Amino acid sequence: MAQNITPKLSTLQIEKFDYRAVYAKYGRARYISHLDFMRSMQRIIKRSRLPVWHTQGFNPHVYIMFPLALPLGTDSRVEIMDFALTEKLSNEQVREQLGEKCPEGIEIISVSQPVHKHTEIKYAEYDIKFKPSIPAQECLDKWNGFMSLEKIEIEKRTKKKTVNLVDIKPHITVISAQTQGEQVALQMRLPAGNDFNLNTNVVLDAFFERYGIEFETICTLRTKIALENGESFT
Amino acid sequence: MQSMKERIERLLLKVQKPARYIGGEVGSVVKDKSKVDVRFAFCFPDTYDVGMSHLGMKILYGLKNQRENWWCERCFMPEVDFAALLRENDIPLYALESLDPLSEFDFVGFTLQYELSYNNVLEMLDLAGIPVLAKQRGDDMPIVVGGGPCVCNPEPMTDFFDLFIIGEGEEVNIELLELYENMKRQGCTKLEFLKQAVKISGVYVPQFYDVTYNDDGTVSTITPNIEQAPAKVTKRVIADFDNVYYPDAFVVPFTQIVHDRAVVEVLRGCIRGCRFCQAGFIYRPFREKNIDTIKNETKCLCEQTGYEEVSLSSLSTSDHTRINDLLSSLVDYTDGEKINLALPSLRVDTFSDELLEKIASVRKSGLTFAPEAGTQRLRDVINKNLTEEEILRTCRTAFEGGYATVKLYFMLGLPDETLDDVAGIAQLAQKVVDLYFEVPKEKRGKGLQVSISTATFVPKPFTPFEFEPQDTPEQILEKQAHLLRNVTSKKIKVSTHMQKNSILEAVLARGDRRLGKVIYTAWKKGCYLDGWDEHFKFDKWMQAFDECGIDTKFYANRRRSYDEVAPWSHLDYLVSHEFFVRENKKAHAAQTTRNCKQGCSGCGIKKEYGGVYCGAKHNAQAVDSAN
Ligand code: SF4
Repeated sequence: MAQNITPKLSTLQIEKFDYRAVYAKYGRARYISHLDFMRSMQRIIKRSRLPVWHTQGFNPHVYIMFPLALPLGTDSRVEIMDFALTEKLSNEQVREQLGEKCPEGIEIISVSQPVHKHTEIKYAEYDIKFKPSIPAQECLDKWNGFMSLEKIEIEKRTKKKTVNLVDIKPHITVISAQTQGEQVALQMRLPAGNDFNLNTNVVLDAFFERYGIEFETICTLRTKIALENGESFT
Repeated sequence: MQSMKERIERLLLKVQKPARYIGGEVGSVVKDKSKVDVRFAFCFPDTYDVGMSHLGMKILYGLKNQRENWWCERCFMPEVDFAALLRENDIPLYALESLDPLSEFDFVGFTLQYELSYNNVLEMLDLAGIPVLAKQRGDDMPIVVGGGPCVCNPEPMTDFFDLFIIGEGEEVNIELLELYENMKRQGCTKLEFLKQAVKISGVYVPQFYDVTYNDDGTVSTITPNIEQAPAKVTKRVIADFDNVYYPDAFVVPFTQIVHDRAVVEVLRGCIRGCRFCQAGFIYRPFREKNIDTIKNETKCLCEQTGYEEVSLSSLSTSDHTRINDLLSSLVDYTDGEKINLALPSLRVDTFSDELLEKIASVRKSGLTFAPEAGTQRLRDVINKNLTEEEILRTCRTAFEGGYATVKLYFMLGLPDETLDDVAGIAQLAQKVVDLYFEVPKEKRGKGLQVSISTATFVPKPFTPFEFEPQDTPEQILEKQAHLLRNVTSKKIKVSTHMQKNSILEAVLARGDRRLGKVIYTAWKKGCYLDGWDEHFKFDKWMQAFDECGIDTKFYANRRRSYDEVAPWSHLDYLVSHEFFVRENKKAHAAQTTRNCKQGCSGCGIKKEYGGVYCGAKHNAQAVDSAN
């Protein structure tokens, strides 16, 4: 009776066309955690009614991949999401259809075909602005002092629940540091991707803690996701 | 001056799941407030995760926002971490769409879904800088209104509310807001408005009623003190249910909530008169939507939300008169769109093999039954028409279909319950275990688990058990211990529920106006979020009862006579007192009552309320378990 058994979803023959979207997350959407954000994106895709490709198997679901998580509280205009369609549509049409369904604070910047592999992501760059509890110039001087330290050791919990000391100093590249009125503005490059990931708040928390500085709202913007050679990931 | 938004944002990165406090979700309605005449803050007195799952809010939110010049917004109880930060930084509790403080609204409306959320109402008002006591709120403060199932006895909460909406809200909310819009234009006072509002059917203004008490502490009289107020307030019912407003958009949260899915209401009311179940009586009569209506609403919401799951909401979905056609037609759509169809309240006795197969493809999670009582005799007492044979038959089909997890829900402390009935719970679970091992190994799933979950019975108003005493904590403990003694198989897991909050629930459910000061006192002592075990402070509550000189036993553990004036007797939920008395007597005689589909039992609801089965010829006297 084998001929009577037809799989519920015969996705096997269905063609798959890969797409990569660059999106922005900011404003009210800043407070969505990565996990929640992935679910929100899934719903945006579903609402867009694009012919989206589902994973095969017993419990098919929309295929979406996020190569790099964006920490809660950080804005970005360079985030990446990969997905696939069952039909070839123009990139502009896909961008438009997705864009229409995005809530405030989420924007689809562009859609293209993937060039690089996720594993090629090595760095990310950030703009950081904050108003310290001490005068901006004094804070900047302290920052420069901080950056000329031999070592910056932070505590890191291991899986065995012991605490390791890790030196993060070698991983921090400061692109610029200056004052802007009452604010301090920093630009830095930090490791990102599968192998090693360093978040801005780890660096800043270490700084604030060491000098006992407090701050009012801190604005962090991811400006670039980069390869080993410094080029943008596309 | 920083804007509210900036002030709020400064706190967000310091709290858990901040996306709950800043709005901006898909489907949330933002209007230009300079063009709005009436502003309504719909408050759910529990956290965002719980409140956002609530269907009534979605309906009334959409309904009011249909009017261009009305704006309905949402507000929830903040978690402890955020509430503390709000207080520390002098930020008043605000609504999520405009981020404006609640005190700037015309109406602040709360839905009272369960007794243990009462104190959150006080806490939310206070966080918003609104005086909690109605008599302390001047004309500059919003009108505080309440609705939801608990307002069938709102008496313990009358100190805190200006007005209650009794029954279903779709029509009366519109009438109330229209009246307000007109009177606001004329510059009327709050009192003048309330005096007009009581003329709307379903509107209850507690300050217009005086309550007197007998020497033994029971209520003597409840009488209106102004001529406009009716002696009895009758609940509102949507007679034309198929055409009632239903939202075409939901607010889709960013964070995960309890029920994170599209929901379509398929029917309202219930045909089964389970005697312990308040919902089964206060939502009568049974009305349903046409398949096409349901299908359109499903499609519309799935498209707008992008949810991957849709659930059918009702007290008992399988009682839809065309359940099989309905499911086939829905499954066609949902399968095509790869959407999961969830059927949370499917009854086992109409659970055909065919139906099981249909939903098996979308739901592999496990099987749940609510026999509620361990023996047939006690199930007859509570009129739960579910037989052991039916349970076992369905379990067999399920085991043969590869299921291996069965959850059984029971209540302890039901009227006329004996220790034999309690032992019956263990025996029933054992039979399910034995049955599993009878099913051939190749067919059944691996790793059988039968779980028994027991809750303590809480007698509720507007049920045949409203006269019954609740078991004392000692009695419940004895029954719990007896149950555990009778469970011998390792495959059976028993979980019993905290008894303490059901005492409080029982007191508040059937309480009178004198409990207002206990609630106030307990809240002052820091009692709120009582529905959360980690925040429930039973000792503080008991102190509050002591200080107010109020005995919980008077409310919870006393048998009430049929002719006692109930604190809620000025509210009419259409089911007659005589019917409840008759049902109570039949319960004690362990006689069942047929369901509305088998034949009307004359509960008192008139045909014009749109019930599918109401108004058929019946003879109440001839109605008995033989049917
Ligand atoms: S009037 Fe009859 S059919 Fe209608 S709800 Fe009451 S018992 Fe059921």
